[in-house]
Amino acid sequence: MKPHSQPPRSSDDNVLWQRFLSGDVVAFEHLMSSHFRVLFRYGCKFSRDQEFVKDSVQDLFLHLWEKRERLRADVAVKPYMMASLRRLMHRSTSSKSWVGEGDLEKADEAFDLEFSVEQQYINNESTLVRTRQLEKLLMELPKRQKEVVYLKFFQELSREQISEVMAVSPQTVSNLLQIAIKQLKKHWKAEFLTFFLIHLFI
Amino acid sequence: MDHYKDFTVEDFVWDTFFRQWVLSPTRETEDLWEEWIENNADAHEKIQQAKGIVLSLRLHEPEIADTEITRIVNQTVGRINASDKYPFFEEPAKQPKVYSFPWLRIAASVAFLLISGWIIYSLSTKKEPQKISFAKPIQEHKDSITEKWNSSMKAMTVLLEDGSKVTLAANGRIRYANKFLAAKREVFLEGEAFFDIAKDSERPFFVYSNGLVTKVLGTSFTIKAYGNSNEVTVEVKTGRVSVFAESDPELEQKTAGRELQGVVLHPNQKIIYSREEVRMVKTLVEKPEMVVLKAETPQFEFEDTPASEVFEKIGKAYGIEILYDPEILKDCPLTATLDNQTLHEKLFIICQAVEASYEILDGQVVIHSRGCKN
Repeated sequence: MKPHSQPPRSSDDNVLWQRFLSGDVVAFEHLMSSHFRVLFRYGCKFSRDQEFVKDSVQDLFLHLWEKRERLRADVAVKPYMMASLRRLMHRSTSSKSWVGEGDLEKADEAFDLEFSVEQQYINNESTLVRTRQLEKLLMELPKRQKEVVYLKFFQELSREQISEVMAVSPQTVSNLLQIAIKQLKKHWKAEFLTFFLIHLFI
Repeated sequence: MDHYKDFTVEDFVWDTFFRQWVLSPTRETEDLWEEWIENNADAHEKIQQAKGIVLSLRLHEPEIADTEITRIVNQTVGRINASDKYPFFEEPAKQPKVYSFPWLRIAASVAFLLISGWIIYSLSTKKEPQKISFAKPIQEHKDSITEKWNSSMKAMTVLLEDGSKVTLAANGRIRYANKFLAAKREVFLEGEAFFDIAKDSERPFFVYSNGLVTKVLGTSFTIKAYGNSNEVTVEVKTGRVSVFAESDPELEQKTAGRELQGVVLHPNQKIIYSREEVRMVKTLVEKPEMVVLKAETPQFEFEDTPASEVFEKIGKAYGIEILYDPEILKDCPLTATLDNQTLHEKLFIICQAVEASYEILDGQVVIHSRGCKN
């Protein structure tokens, strides 16, 4: 959400991408450094092991370099990389749990978001309460809805891009999103009301 | 934008266009929304709430340092460069073709011998300076070395045999002998630590960190030497500290004596040592503190005091050299109370008042002024 966490404009990305496809190492280096943070953060939603996430991002770029001659030139760079990282991480977690390394089956299922409420933007009690409720509801969403909300509202991807990242149809994305938002709004009102009533009577 | 009329607070919070305006406003969105709010005064309260919620609900993202990203990117680029130069490591299928020419086989063997010889040579020469830091003390006390690694998130205090205290920051690593040598005390640091060294003028204290040697007699200072960074910084709080590179050809001689040689740092000074360029930059710490005791803190109340006197008083209190031309500044009177400001704020205010400017050069403050006579 902070401006520096956003990679450069997508048109710059596409120029870099095409230069990278033709074997330009400098372009490759730029692509990797400008997308590393976004990919690292996205990867951390699937695993708490930050070293594993770093390794995965590095593997992703090594793979991209190896098969650059077979890649399409007209991809949307950021979603394409996110999708590839997602596949790669799921593949390696499932192969790890196959070997029997710890409780990684759970990790395969995970999509963890963490929020914090920064009070300096809030000028009254009721807004603060509403924000806290919303935070709680977001945390309680099922993992696929959580991921859709993350990609849509915190990574600002379009419906089509989300469908590419999560490997589902655009219609599924719309459905997931609709259910999630409905959930957030409905419960939010109810919880807010109960809280308010309790507050009044104590 | 008519459909926004019936929006609730929640509707606004999850509206893409609304979020865009709140989180990264542009000229156009700013104008559009301001106009809309003017025409829909009753929605003002809702907008304010929704705005507060969108702004305050922050997604907590894990941090990763730029230096760490650079390190991994460089490593990756190094790997692809290596695999492109020697493709036969990656693709064994190509081997038979190349090796069917006998002269190529010979050429390849010669090249291989040359390259491996060069690698062995360069590795063995590069290792040389490292020997001083790690190999030597370990040989001397093989069985009495302690290594402490602070794996917690909080600072950790390590007490040394001579009464010195080391505060190790999270993820820092320190290695030292349980019993120091008769002639010198030595520790090895990776990461960040604050040292409060017991005075012992007979036995200088040495810290080795990422290629930089810090030598002190009895002082307190902070060293930051992260494994993945090429820079080492040393910040002095009290006393004097001398630093030099491990690669310094006169290292033996400089470490031997009791005097402080090399670059000498005073309180509030800081050095940035860059390993790659073998270069040291002396500057001031970010927030210099007064070196005099709390009880002796001078009053910084000035009334028609010549600026030259003001600078002298401040320089003394902070133990910092302030360079100025007393002839020019004696005609610049200053009236101000500067008890609660940091050093930089003080300097800034004074310079504003007497139309001067200042810069930090080599760990000193230099005042530029044209005088105040009109």
